[in-house]
Amino acid sequence: MRKLRALILRLRGMINSRGSEADFAAEIESHVALHTEDGIRAGLTRAEARRQALIRLGGAEQTRQAHRNRRTLPVLESLLRDHSYAFRTLSKHPGATAIAILSIGLGIGANATIFSMVSRFVLRPAPMGDPTRLLALHTTHEGDRCCNPFSLPQYNDLRDHAKSFSGVAAYYELIPASISGYGDPERVWGQGVTSNFFSVTELPMQLGWGFVQGEESAPVVVLGSALWHRRFNADPQIVGKPVVLSGHTYTVVGVVSPAFHGADQILYTEFWVPMGNLAQLVPNLPDQASLEFHWVEVLARLAPGVTRTQAAAELKTMASRFALSNPKTDNNSRIVFEQAGSLPSNIHANVVLFFSALSIVVLLVLFIAGANVANLLLAQAASRQRDMAVRLALGATRARLRRQMLMESLLLGLCGGLMGVLLSLWATAVLSSSRLPAPVPLDVQIGIDWRVLLYSLALSVVSGLLLGVAPAWAASRPMLANALKGEDALARPGRRISLRNLLVVAQVAMSVVLLCVTGLFLRSLQSAASINIGFRPQNVLIASIDPRVHGYTAERTAQFLTLLRRQVAALPGVESAVITDVAPLSDGNRSDVFSVLGHAAKDSSSANSDLYMVTPGYFEALGIPRVAGRDFGGESLNGPKTAIVNRAFVDGVFGGENPIGRQVTGGGATYQIIGVAANTKSRSLGEETRPILYRFLDQSIASDPSLMGYTLVIHATGDPSTVQDAVRRHIHALDSTMAIYNEETMEQHVRTAYFLPRLAATLFGTFGFIGLVLASVGLYGVMSYSVSRRAREIGIRMALGAKPGSVERLVLRQGMVLTLIAVALGWPAAWMLAKTASSFLYGIQPHDTLTFALVPPFLAVLALAACYIPARRAAQIEPMQALRTE
Amino acid sequence: MGDKTDVWQGTLSLMVLRTLETMGAQHGYGLARRIEQTSGDLLQLNYGTLYPALLKLEQEGFIRSNWGTSENNRKAKFYELTKAGHRQLKRAAAEWEQTTNILARFLTPAEES
Repeated sequence: MRKLRALILRLRGMINSRGSEADFAAEIESHVALHTEDGIRAGLTRAEARRQALIRLGGAEQTRQAHRNRRTLPVLESLLRDHSYAFRTLSKHPGATAIAILSIGLGIGANATIFSMVSRFVLRPAPMGDPTRLLALHTTHEGDRCCNPFSLPQYNDLRDHAKSFSGVAAYYELIPASISGYGDPERVWGQGVTSNFFSVTELPMQLGWGFVQGEESAPVVVLGSALWHRRFNADPQIVGKPVVLSGHTYTVVGVVSPAFHGADQILYTEFWVPMGNLAQLVPNLPDQASLEFHWVEVLARLAPGVTRTQAAAELKTMASRFALSNPKTDNNSRIVFEQAGSLPSNIHANVVLFFSALSIVVLLVLFIAGANVANLLLAQAASRQRDMAVRLALGATRARLRRQMLMESLLLGLCGGLMGVLLSLWATAVLSSSRLPAPVPLDVQIGIDWRVLLYSLALSVVSGLLLGVAPAWAASRPMLANALKGEDALARPGRRISLRNLLVVAQVAMSVVLLCVTGLFLRSLQSAASINIGFRPQNVLIASIDPRVHGYTAERTAQFLTLLRRQVAALPGVESAVITDVAPLSDGNRSDVFSVLGHAAKDSSSANSDLYMVTPGYFEALGIPRVAGRDFGGESLNGPKTAIVNRAFVDGVFGGENPIGRQVTGGGATYQIIGVAANTKSRSLGEETRPILYRFLDQSIASDPSLMGYTLVIHATGDPSTVQDAVRRHIHALDSTMAIYNEETMEQHVRTAYFLPRLAATLFGTFGFIGLVLASVGLYGVMSYSVSRRAREIGIRMALGAKPGSVERLVLRQGMVLTLIAVALGWPAAWMLAKTASSFLYGIQPHDTLTFALVPPFLAVLALAACYIPARRAAQIEPMQALRTE
Repeated sequence: MGDKTDVWQGTLSLMVLRTLETMGAQHGYGLARRIEQTSGDLLQLNYGTLYPALLKLEQEGFIRSNWGTSENNRKAKFYELTKAGHRQLKRAAAEWEQTTNILARFLTPAEES
């Protein structure tokens, strides 16, 4: 405590320096006076007494200095002085400083952006109470890929008998619903949860109190914060008011905290209802007592004092006990868990790999930027040798000089870090607003949180210090005599490998790696763009509706759709209007295993194919060629079901033979094949060609309706967005409460499917470009500097008869040697690293010939250009001028 | 200056505190003089080294200072012990005594025989 008090007083002492100086001077004066008086009393003269007094004092100046050192904090003072000196020095070279700050800013900005993604998806805990003690449970079968949900009976077993947990809750992941009242009907997504969900997750509520224990079927709902703001204007009296979801009324009993969108952090859900209500909102809900259907996710909170190991042991016992009592369905199943809110384990590995690759790339960019700045600082250090030498001569220690140089580079690092954070604010905003190609709502907001700021600060400080090491060391070594004479005290004759050249070689080598990676991803994008999607996206509009959530029966839905089809097809500007369940390239919907009728799925060929419902004219509307047979139309609704298949289906199930007229079974129904269509992409761009079976919508709508709504596909004569309004009006004319969603032109829809390759190409392309620019600038800087330092030598050469041409060649050769060494180092490194990127590339090999063949010559040409200007300058040196200047 | 010994900062603080306790409030010069006397003139320090030590003690709250007048009507800065200073003196003195006792055991083994 005493020490702290002293420290605070010393800090204060720094502020009021002058007053304290005067005070102490007076005290010293009075001391000397008293001593003098004693001396006089002892018989000395006044002058002699005073002299004695001063001698015994031990030197007034030393005493004052010692007192001053104690009164203030000399360490802090000299640090502040270094800081203001650094600031002044940097401002004297605004150009170089700006370039340095920009370079570091770009490097740190890139790192901060990538880290904000890591922070959001890998590091951030769920916004629930004490997330470390909340576990997400999954079942898994031996030999299968992880992870599956639970059946309701197994959940009940866990809830009733597991002792390691203070509470076990379950939820059904995703319910689409249409919310009406208070404006246009809107499609929202929610979850069905057990009544203890909010207490197990310890979720804080903004308003209200959540569900009461035991009321599993009460018609109540908890709203998400964004929904509450958006639709109800953040009404503070919302609790107790009714809300209509898919035609059923629920009473609001709470609003969750703004950060919560669902327990797994990726899905974006906006309302929660007790599980008993699911029958109203979800058709075809599995029988709740069934052991076969695994459809609920389970969250469990560890009881106080219980460790994960203990819980794991108990779960193991319970799983085997459950398997024993239900051997038909649950044989060999285990229970696994992870902390709630972390990435699902099946995509965890890929995501981590992706982020690691990105992080390495941006660290490379930072290194290249740093190397540039280091070279810049070295150049400056060289030109300040005289300054340094004078200060050394006046008594500064080398340690002091080094500290000052470090302070300068630290300042650069911090300013660069600040700029980097600003850049990443912009970048994350851009990334957050992008749409992901998925049929379910995803929460992909990224932002700058405290973790990112801390990381950026750490990077800035480390970069600043590392950058300063070389110049600091260089600055403290000049040989005094030479430096004062103005010679280059840093150049040691005979030394071939200088730090600057090393840095440049490293930079260029890294650029080779970056460029190869960039090239790969650009080629991947090019390849993705030339993928034949199999249909014509131009002039097509799509819009989806889901009559089921509005309580429509199958009959009513069929009538609605037929009427709508006819009306829209009759609109001016519309060539044709057809209906399907899900549009192509929407990540798919249904798939079943099909085999030839009469043969069991095992012995003859079968194929797992995607299933789509379509109406007559679908293939023409989307420009998919039909290669055999006929289109739908004319079948009776209750007659045998018909289907059209694609080429891949024919190859998979019939081995390429003519399928027309034959029958296949799958998904609980039998279909007679009436036609064959060309292959198209079904779920995503990068997929292998899948077998597809298209069935007649009108025949299946009663027995096997779509759970994801229906999509109207409109082929317009011109720009499809012109008919958008008319279509909306017609839909609302038929039913004003029908929510319309996923309205877009097919071209927009397909563009979204390109999101991932576009994202990768953009990210890596940007970083590659930045790295390349920085490396070129670095190479140019080094060559330029080398020419200016060697001006005298060049002058002598020319005076002795060298022609300008040979001087040019000399400089160029020097630069190209550096480049060649760098490429020789970087190219193999890139070759080895390319392997890891293979899972992210579309349709090209990781060791793509074109990329790896083009990059070295490209870089060589760039290097040539960067060296050319300094080479010209060297050739234009006037020998007499060069010899005269110092 | 002959064979007079040097003084550590820590022992100087102890001397200052003890002197202030016995003498009461005193100015820097008087303190220096008195310390010299008490040591039987075996100690000769530069009077100037006293002032940083006094400042340290003041910053740590063991003494306080005030401008006053000396016997000969000279303006001088007087220092006196605070309550905390009294406690510190007792504590430091006890520690010092313990140290010397322990060391004494090592340095007089002849007593054994």
